[in-house]
Amino acid sequence: MAATEGFKRHGADSYVATFAETEKEVLLNLVEQLIELLAERVDHGDEDPLAAMVGITSHDSPPEDEVLHRLLPNAYADDVDAAEFRRYTESTLRGKKQAHAMSIRMMLKASPEGDVELDHKCANDWLGGLNDVRLALGVRLKIENNNYEHLELLSPDDPLRGVYAVYSWLGWLQETLLEALMDEITE
Amino acid sequence: MAKLADALEEEIAAIFSGDTPWVTIVWDDPVNLQSYVTYVFMELFGYSKAKATELMMQVHTEGKAIVSTGSREEMEHDVARLHEYGLWATLQRGDQI
Repeated sequence: MAATEGFKRHGADSYVATFAETEKEVLLNLVEQLIELLAERVDHGDEDPLAAMVGITSHDSPPEDEVLHRLLPNAYADDVDAAEFRRYTESTLRGKKQAHAMSIRMMLKASPEGDVELDHKCANDWLGGLNDVRLALGVRLKIENNNYEHLELLSPDDPLRGVYAVYSWLGWLQETLLEALMDEITE
Repeated sequence: MAKLADALEEEIAAIFSGDTPWVTIVWDDPVNLQSYVTYVFMELFGYSKAKATELMMQVHTEGKAIVSTGSREEMEHDVARLHEYGLWATLQRGDQI
């Protein structure tokens, strides 16, 4: 099967793409890892079950993992305010991000031929999910200040080279979906 | 002297009335695509393409931009939604920028 041409608008509120088997596998693998990464932290044994039910957690420090920290950033520059906000919102944020990734996973799983059709809401799920994967890969690739030189110069057998190729491909894919969506918006 | 007193009075009044505006700031991030940032501003805030593009460019060139103002609660809501879509956002009191 040919490589995907990205997303295209297909009538009103419909955005379509067809993925080759390998592309589908790559996407599934990435979103499944993202879903796993976003799973709740189990580093606290003293969780109040009632508080947990309404999404309040006892952890108020930012995640130690660099990738998670980028996905779940502080809302305040002030540490005390940031901790308080995190206690009440981090669990919800994880859930929302997981939902984006799960939407991508579900649509790919439901399509043996690799073709997906998104409405506006699904398109937003895909944009958010693809973006989170790019953020995660970006941290590992140390993408800072729009400097890609160290990545362009990677030797062919460096595993990061493959990661960079996937990162670039995801950016292109995201761009095709954005173009299709913005196509409708004249102003 | 009178001017300073006026400013102080205003500040104290604002503290008691609780209407000190808060702001949501989006910070530059080398990973997020420009078109994506523009699209998120349009989707979340209902901004026109022109206004969203202008704010995106401000983030890109100046490193940050104020994207919304309002009560603390409203700004916490905006920051949460921006985080949901992977933008790097924080909130703070409008008079402390």
